[in-house]
Amino acid sequence: MNFWLSVIRQTGRNLRQTWATQFMTCLTVSLSVLMFSFFYLIYINILSAGNKVSDDLRLIVYLDEEPGPQLQEQLRLKITQFDQVQEVKFISKAEAYSRFTEQLGDNRDVLTDMPTDFLPASIEVVPLKNLRSLNQVKLFAEYLATIPGSQKVQYGQKWVERFYYFTQLLSIVVLLSGTLLILTATFMVASTIRLTIFGRQEELELLKLVGATNNYIRTPFLLEGIFQGLMGSFLGLTALYTLFQWTTGHFSGAGFLDLFTFTFFPSEIIVTIVLLSIILCTAGSYTSMQKFLRI
Amino acid sequence: MSESPATTRTAMIEMIKVGKEFPPNVTALADISVSIASGEMFFLIGRSGAGKTTLLKLLCNMERPSNGLIEVAGMNIHQVTGNKLAKLRQKVGVAYQDFRLLTDRTVAENIAISMEVSYKKPQIIRARVRSLLAQLQLEDKHDMLTGDLSRGEQQRVALARAVANSPALILVDEPTGNLDATSTAQVMELLARCSNSGATIVIATHDEALYRHSSNRVMKLHNGKLDSLTRGDEL
Ligand SMILES: Nc1ncnc2c1ncn2[C@@H]1O[C@H](COP(=O)(O)OP(=O)(O)OP(=O)(O)O)[C@@H](O)[C@H]1O
Ligand SMILES: [Mg+2]
Repeated sequence: MNFWLSVIRQTGRNLRQTWATQFMTCLTVSLSVLMFSFFYLIYINILSAGNKVSDDLRLIVYLDEEPGPQLQEQLRLKITQFDQVQEVKFISKAEAYSRFTEQLGDNRDVLTDMPTDFLPASIEVVPLKNLRSLNQVKLFAEYLATIPGSQKVQYGQKWVERFYYFTQLLSIVVLLSGTLLILTATFMVASTIRLTIFGRQEELELLKLVGATNNYIRTPFLLEGIFQGLMGSFLGLTALYTLFQWTTGHFSGAGFLDLFTFTFFPSEIIVTIVLLSIILCTAGSYTSMQKFLRI
Repeated sequence: MSESPATTRTAMIEMIKVGKEFPPNVTALADISVSIASGEMFFLIGRSGAGKTTLLKLLCNMERPSNGLIEVAGMNIHQVTGNKLAKLRQKVGVAYQDFRLLTDRTVAENIAISMEVSYKKPQIIRARVRSLLAQLQLEDKHDMLTGDLSRGEQQRVALARAVANSPALILVDEPTGNLDATSTAQVMELLARCSNSGATIVIATHDEALYRHSSNRVMKLHNGKLDSLTRGDEL
């Protein structure tokens, strides 16, 4: 109890004495948190948008011949060899014809002179509803083109490819900003703590002489790291949330954001980001102590 | 060993053939053997450069002896490390010749440090600081930065810090060098009070008046060697 009282008082004194440096460090940490969480927020929102969009995603393989039941089984096997799928559906020429007439509705009389088997038979493949299958759809389509009897494979090519590259790019940006966060949090805090240690060399020396335990001397520096991590992530996330509120407030109703509902982080992710920055900052302060605090 | 258990138990400091050399070839101390009893007030005299400060530094583990053995409270202090060393140092109060005050902190904060490290309650610390300042007539300096004090005032603050945590062993290096007679008397009264409550006190000094008429033992060093060891009133 008294230990913590003394240590917290000591930490407060440190922060007060070097508040300018501390403030800069805190600002740098919060900027990195903001940057990382900004890209990460976009990333996870794109992911969930991708999931929604992939609800409608299906690949259609047009066939030369209408496959018999045995061949259907073989084809189904071949398709599932590539990846698990949600559904493989065979559409016969007759089914295709009846669907088409339904689609035509009142205009169906234009078909009266046509033979009922003029539309090709096809296989409708519905991939699993996740981003992986969305990203793989191109490869999947190429694979489906190679199965015997396939004439043509159709899906929303352009759109899916763009989406694929966009999410790839975004995940790289997320990784980069994450790395930047790790570097700034640890190195900035490490260098601030180093400055504090050098600035208080005389006092630390005296503390040792009057019998301060290692924990008494070290804990304030660790608390400083924890404090930096907590404040930095709090400020960063608050800034992001403000930005998020402003954006959704201003653009709701406009076409593009209606496409997917933009949501903020769930609380687990917020907690993880805060904990992560606390751990990083504490690690920074710890490495400085190991290097410069000879006890 | 010819020593009886009783003497080892009551000895606070045991030095056996202690020597200290500084590179390249300064012999600050050589072949010092002395035993200081628990509760004793012990004086250390000798000309400037005789090795008084060096001896005190060995006793508080700021320096390691080049040879010989030093035991404080039955422990070889140069083998103790970590939290045990910290605990030991909390029981040893040192008033350094160069004070070692934190000049950007107030008088009260400087004195409080030695009590904070052993987690004393804040109200106890405050009361103790006030009482010590009163005994040294420094009440009005409570909130001054120690850097702004006179040498004599700094010296007394350093002493107050050394005795604040009621240590079992008090090492005082030149406590009255910058003081007038009245302040000197106050300092000696404070040390006498510590002694009465059981503390062992070692005082390095040039001031004959401090030990002249006392029955305390006085050890005289000369060029790092033991010159004489007698009672003050026999000198
Ligand atoms: N760190 C050191 N390196 C080299 N020589 C040292 C060191 N410390 C002390 N000495 C030498 O050891 C000798 C004893 O020094 P010490 O400080 O113990 O003297 P002292 O008796 O305290 O003198 P004073 O009365 O002036 O304080 C001196 O000759 C000094 O120059
Ligand atoms: Mg000296």
